[in-house]
Amino acid sequence: MGAESALDERQLVREAQAGSGAAMAQLYSAHWRFAYRAAYLVVHDATAAEDIAQDAFLAAVDALDRFDRRRPFAPWLHRIVVNRALDWARREALRRKVDRPESVFEPLPPPAEIGGELMAALKELPAEQRAVVVLRHLLEYTPGEIAGMLDLPRGTVNSRLRRGLDRLREAVQDEASAEGVR
Amino acid sequence: MRRDPLGQALREATIPVPAEAEERGLRVVEAAYAHRQPRGRPVALPRLALAFAVATLLTALLLSPAGATVREWVDDVVTTSAPRPEPELAEIPGGGRLLVQSAAGPWVVQPDGSRRLLGDYEEATWSPRGLFVAAVQGRTLSAVEPDGDPRWSVTAARRVADPRWAPGGERIAYRSGQALRVVAGDGTGDRLLARSTAPVAPAWSPLGDAALAYVSSAGMLRIVHSEDGGDFAIGLAGTSVDEIEWGDGGATILEKSPGALRLQPVRLSKLQARPGIGDRRDLPVPAGATVVDAALAPERQLVAAVLTLWRDHGTRSAVILFDPEQARARRLLTVPGSLGQVAWSPDGRRLLVAWPGANQWLFLPIGRGQGRAVANVSRAFAPGGRAASFPRVEGWCCRR
Repeated sequence: MGAESALDERQLVREAQAGSGAAMAQLYSAHWRFAYRAAYLVVHDATAAEDIAQDAFLAAVDALDRFDRRRPFAPWLHRIVVNRALDWARREALRRKVDRPESVFEPLPPPAEIGGELMAALKELPAEQRAVVVLRHLLEYTPGEIAGMLDLPRGTVNSRLRRGLDRLREAVQDEASAEGVR
Repeated sequence: MRRDPLGQALREATIPVPAEAEERGLRVVEAAYAHRQPRGRPVALPRLALAFAVATLLTALLLSPAGATVREWVDDVVTTSAPRPEPELAEIPGGGRLLVQSAAGPWVVQPDGSRRLLGDYEEATWSPRGLFVAAVQGRTLSAVEPDGDPRWSVTAARRVADPRWAPGGERIAYRSGQALRVVAGDGTGDRLLARSTAPVAPAWSPLGDAALAYVSSAGMLRIVHSEDGGDFAIGLAGTSVDEIEWGDGGATILEKSPGALRLQPVRLSKLQARPGIGDRRDLPVPAGATVVDAALAPERQLVAAVLTLWRDHGTRSAVILFDPEQARARRLLTVPGSLGQVAWSPDGRRLLVAWPGANQWLFLPIGRGQGRAVANVSRAFAPGGRAASFPRVEGWCCRR
């Protein structure tokens, strides 16, 4: 985010704290897509991702008056999104262990038109590795920032990132070649 | 700047986005924002006036008979005793039929007290006129006649729970795993309504079979169309809600959690334009009390609640009748120990209150008249009369 847009965002947060519903709606519109995408890439369930994104914004509304507006809004929101997505993924994994493996849910849409192999490979990673990959490469946080967001030692973040990337590399390289991305 | 092919791929990958998800979320966030309580900011003059008005109202409430009743109750001693118990259930006071879930399965109890075990089912619920019972066993939902004959069954992929028959009789909603599903009353057309729900039984609108309320896994109270799952209305559910009930002629949803009772007004006429859920209202549950169970009266905005109050000198329980319209709360009974669930009679004139510690059911009139108590309840619902766990009342049938 550029300096100018960061200033705009602080202004929006200030106005939302002061009672401007329009400012709150602008913050929502500016961040929903990335919040949803981040949640989806961790949980790979569209309904859960919708709930998680919504839940994160509700948490943001709830804590709005306590928010330090000198700090950027996005990392605060992303921290909530990714931690809730991780909680959901862990609960789901536990439920799969004790429940039957079949799904009652309607099948997900057909494989993605873009990034299909990458998505399939990402889905095979443990949720903890997916979360750090998403935070590092989709949301562009540094390993130190990720460590703070997930309350983990930095070494743990680095090792999860390395293991996740090793497993993704082949899929990414194949797809990057196909899409002309170098 | 160094290009990050993985980042670009993650940003560009096609992912499924539920239809209108962003707009739906915005409506919810706007509603939450409109209801938030700002803290630590200067209070503008109009808000100061509003705060003063609220404070005045609260003071008036505390000094009013309703507030006084609740305050009195908090420090009450046991003054209203339970009626002397009869040794067995010879009739159901006020009539009607009961559906009772025991460890052996669900039982239908006739007005004369005679009873029949329906079969090896884990959970059951009445159809609206009591012609059938929807019963659950593992992943199977069945419709069973009150004499025990099964009519049809559907099998879900995951464990079935919380069946609820719609008031028109045409649909049954149930939970399977985390999903909410609906099947027609004849067992056909089983379909998914929502993928991710909280472990709370859904509640049908008493006005018909179109609208169904449930709590999503994200803690939202959603009212959806039972045909296609489309949203009618969305609002925030209270924290830790474990039970919802839609009553008061369709005008109110009662949310119960261990520490609170909340009334959520519903405006069905405005469903298409804006969320039809109004400003919720907390009932004055005394601090430190646990809400064990609560039930909305069939046709009125009257809430019966069983509360447990933890004291240094022992636990006490009370049955409280909240009348929000009149701003009154009335204590019907206080007993030592723990009471269990509460259910309204079909005519709304009596309550059935479970008292597991005394192995009794209490039938309490809400107006004038003597209450009645029945002892040895668990033994009555154990095949062969053996001792068993205390049974659960699944329903008292029927209004029509």
